[in-house]
Amino acid sequence: MDIELIEIRDFLASHPPFDALPEETLTALPKSLTVRYLRRGSSFPPEDESTPALYILRRGAIELRERGGDLIGKLAEGDTAPSACNDRRVQRNIIGTVSEDSLIYLLPCELLGRLRAEHSDFAAHFDQSVSERLRNAIDLVKERGNLSSTSLMTVRVRDLIGEHLVSTTPDTSIEQAARIMSEARCSSLVIMEDHQLRGLLTVRDLRDRCLAAGLSPQRPVSEIMTQRLHTTTADTLGFQTLITMSRLNVHHLPVLRDGQVVGVISTSDLVRFQSANAVYLVGDIHKAEDLKTLVVTAQKISELQIHLVASGATGDQVGQAITAVTDAINQRLLELAERELGPPPMPYCWMVGGSQARREQSVHSDQDNALLLAEAPTPEQDRYFQSLATLVTNGLNDCGFVHCPGDVMASNSKWRQPLAAWRHYFSDWIERPQPQALLNASVFFDLRALHDPEHLFSTLQREVLRKTSENRIFIAHMAANAIKHRPPLGFFRNFVLIRGGDHDQTFDLKLRGTVPIIDMARVHALSAGIPDVNSLERLQMVAGSAALSRDGAANLIDALEFIGTLRVRHQANQLRAGVDADNFLSPDSLSALERGHMKDAFTLIASLQETLGQRYQAGRFA
Amino acid sequence: MNNDVLLEARRRWTIYNLPFGALRDCYAQPLPRARQEYRDTDYVALDFETTGLYPVKDQILSFGWVPIDGNRIRLDGAQHRMIKVDQAISAESAVIHQITDDQAARGEPLKEVLTDFLRVLGGRVLVAHHARIERGFLAAACRDFFGDEPLVRVVDTEALARRSLERRQQAYRPSDLRLHALAQSYNLPQMTAHNALSDALNTAQVFLAQIAYLDTGKSLRLQDLLT
Repeated sequence: MDIELIEIRDFLASHPPFDALPEETLTALPKSLTVRYLRRGSSFPPEDESTPALYILRRGAIELRERGGDLIGKLAEGDTAPSACNDRRVQRNIIGTVSEDSLIYLLPCELLGRLRAEHSDFAAHFDQSVSERLRNAIDLVKERGNLSSTSLMTVRVRDLIGEHLVSTTPDTSIEQAARIMSEARCSSLVIMEDHQLRGLLTVRDLRDRCLAAGLSPQRPVSEIMTQRLHTTTADTLGFQTLITMSRLNVHHLPVLRDGQVVGVISTSDLVRFQSANAVYLVGDIHKAEDLKTLVVTAQKISELQIHLVASGATGDQVGQAITAVTDAINQRLLELAERELGPPPMPYCWMVGGSQARREQSVHSDQDNALLLAEAPTPEQDRYFQSLATLVTNGLNDCGFVHCPGDVMASNSKWRQPLAAWRHYFSDWIERPQPQALLNASVFFDLRALHDPEHLFSTLQREVLRKTSENRIFIAHMAANAIKHRPPLGFFRNFVLIRGGDHDQTFDLKLRGTVPIIDMARVHALSAGIPDVNSLERLQMVAGSAALSRDGAANLIDALEFIGTLRVRHQANQLRAGVDADNFLSPDSLSALERGHMKDAFTLIASLQETLGQRYQAGRFA
Repeated sequence: MNNDVLLEARRRWTIYNLPFGALRDCYAQPLPRARQEYRDTDYVALDFETTGLYPVKDQILSFGWVPIDGNRIRLDGAQHRMIKVDQAISAESAVIHQITDDQAARGEPLKEVLTDFLRVLGGRVLVAHHARIERGFLAAACRDFFGDEPLVRVVDTEALARRSLERRQQAYRPSDLRLHALAQSYNLPQMTAHNALSDALNTAQVFLAQIAYLDTGKSLRLQDLLT
């Protein structure tokens, strides 16, 4: 009776690519291995090994360098060395040093070749680069649960509307217009004149304003069309449009692309994509008549995150949805405050910063906001804004968006200023960047106007971006900040874990995972003068520039999506278990496969941090 | 008994007095010479599970062995074999080895397993942790079935560990010499399944680590390792 080498099989089964092998093959595999022990300091591959083999590190650590001396990789438990089986030349160009006493399994090349030929999933591991592996992992994460309705979270309005714009002129008769709609089988008709949008005619208009009102069908459509129109754009996300429609209580919105009408989106277009209840939450929020109702509604945000994660939403999608709800609460609080205090004594812009600006909130984000006033306020005017800001920030706090620990809030008079003062603040940060001050001020480099009827914000934004893109020293300081938080990957590709305290044996997914990417995206965007604040959009915009290659950007986007998705999923699990959500993940809670991808993601981040450091730091003192 | 000449004389003398069979075949293989390089030598790590510590009255319950060629463990030769025993297994020992009467009854006759093991042992050095036990039971079983003890060179990983600690004039507790403590000190993974094969494998891994530490790049001979 021969019993299998169970522990060795189990070890292989929990590490890629062996986890892709069928049970039977795995069970037979240990019998084909030889085992070696290499002492710390000895060279790798061992000089006395003449037959080429795939090296699997069971215990210990190995550093790999190119012949030139550059460190190209660190192997830790479960890693396989770049295979000598692939190409002997590769092997000769890589020299390694065993940096911890190591136990190594050797898999003969001949068997490896057979396994690769017979198992395509297994083979893929050897054919792919780190970034390809990560990309496949993201697809897997997304696939999980995609059966339900995540589409609305990703789909853009342009993909929901038909190709042909059905339109007519204002002087068309109602009867003729009805015939056009009937032939085109559509429920709305765009009314155009000289390539300008004049109005929208819907089936409801025909019913209410023509038939029910006894108006002659020979009258022109201009008499019954809706003229004051809200619009949406082709690039807006489906669910955001649905939120807008629900808030305005309309069923059709003209869709613009580059200022031109390209179609109409209707609620029925969106209904089949009906997704999470973010939409209903926003509807409730806009109907809320007091703070108490808002607080009750806000409590459903954790449910929303659980629901979204369960239906397979990515970190970005959850961030977009939760931010949409926060924005709605924030806007409603402003409306309620204005109702209580009376109309504002001058136009103002309510600006949001940090994760809300970036549309990257998750449950338990704190608030960052500020006020941009049309002009310098009199003491009496300032008292009005003081009261307004206090009502809103306290309201947000009651809704779970706790007060900013650094007091970066509109209720703080320092952050309630006219344009001239903001101009001065930004010049100061950009021209005299002190590392500590910059860290505090960095929240203001992710800034978005939430309520700005008079368009005060665009002037400030334009000026800030012009200054940041021209000032290399400022960018160098921001770059230095951006590479401060290193991914939690130790020298030996082991996770560096928090020791002791409440978060013993975990790592911080936010501080060590998403924040480094968000910081890098900010540096690139400010350097290029790009107004977007969402990190994914920033990275998409700078991809292929001199500062960030297309591949580099794609890798960062993938890493952000992967880590961000694990983060919202981790939080959803906590919420479901009835505990407060946080960012502290234990590597043990990941599958071996996810651990592998996590390492890949961290490796990519670290290498792009190095690139960023080299690029911007070089000119720092020039 | 580490003199190559004396040992070879004894091997040749004994072989003529042995009946044909596994033990004689084993004797027919020349013994590894004490003066040869350790890395040109082949070994086999062995572990038994037994009903007790005394070869005279206790029985072997299972064999686990794994061959080592030079400084490589060859898992393709790893074997775990259960022995059919007639005497009832005491409750205490069943607790330790987790081998029950039922399992033992499904085992093979000791002679068959012993025959297979002797075939592997021929020409190899026996490696065991606290080798006295393995050696004693092996000798007793061979005497019973083949009329004589096997002629074998032995490396005891426990003795190697004690020697290296004493050479460094380092204080140690007896527990530091246990297989698991040694494995840990060499950064080795623990094979936790408690059976003869996983312990044989643990022994083999500790042995690889020990020789890696003894190998200073200068000549290291088998005689430097022998018990």
